[in-house]
Amino acid sequence: MNPELFLQLDRVIHEKGRLAIMSMLAASPELSFTELRDALAMTDGNLTTHIRALQEEGFISVAKSYQNRRPLTTCSLTTAGRKAFAEYITLLEQIVRQNKPQ
Amino acid sequence: MNSNWAEENLQTIRTLMERSALYRRALAPIMIFVGTVGIVGGIVGWRLQINSARSFVVFWSGVAVVALAGAFLLVRRQALKDSEPFWSPPTRRVAQAMLPSFFVGAMASVVMVFWGNDFSPQMIFVLVWCWAFGCGIHAAGFFMPRGIRWLGWIFIATGGLLLLVGMDPNIDFPVILNSPHLLMAAIFGGLHLAYGIYLYFTEKKNPVA
Repeated sequence: MNPELFLQLDRVIHEKGRLAIMSMLAASPELSFTELRDALAMTDGNLTTHIRALQEEGFISVAKSYQNRRPLTTCSLTTAGRKAFAEYITLLEQIVRQNKPQ
Repeated sequence: MNSNWAEENLQTIRTLMERSALYRRALAPIMIFVGTVGIVGGIVGWRLQINSARSFVVFWSGVAVVALAGAFLLVRRQALKDSEPFWSPPTRRVAQAMLPSFFVGAMASVVMVFWGNDFSPQMIFVLVWCWAFGCGIHAAGFFMPRGIRWLGWIFIATGGLLLLVGMDPNIDFPVILNSPHLLMAAIFGGLHLAYGIYLYFTEKKNPVA
């Protein structure tokens, strides 16, 4: 395997939990905190940590609002996040192609 | 490092993306409610002898409004309970997929309310809605659990069967086929209820995306 490609993979996205969050958000305009938590079977603390890491990187945006007087937190991919995710996928596909027997 | 890890990662990403776009509300209570409303509506219409074309269509449009309103309230309650937005992207997609077929059915109903007495339309009403509804939920099935597409096909096939049976003049119809109310109860009530009961036993208690 060409290690160059592997080294180009975004370290922040590559982590399993954060990759799962990015994948879910890539297919939906926005998802609530509870939707993400339930779908990915993560604890509140774990999900919060991953979301914060992705937010600091500028990959996702978090909006807080109220629905029926209950707090509602929703997450969505930023333009930078969508671009980084697309690049990550492209690199993975290249790695897969390289590993395929000729 | 396993050389397949990239492929596995891509597969995981694909699965998660598909799951994210899926409609997540528990369907069992909705189907059971809609099915019960359908059966009760059919029995009430049959007992009250609501037989003129116009009153038949108006009566069943009312039943549909009650079923729809109840289903909306159940979805809203689930969304509130889960602290999720009611009008979520998957809900929007499901509504958009169902809308054209429901529109066709609604337009056919309007035509029958105004011009229905000129021809014997109750059976046509049952037929049109059977097909329109089947097409609607089949289309929505692309964003919902796989089983619901089968329900769509069952509605469409039932409509076809009804047409074939109705065209044969030699058949001595059982009472259910001669009463459009009972037909509506059996098709719309019975099929929803059966699917709801099936889901009650098979759907995950805490459905995830």
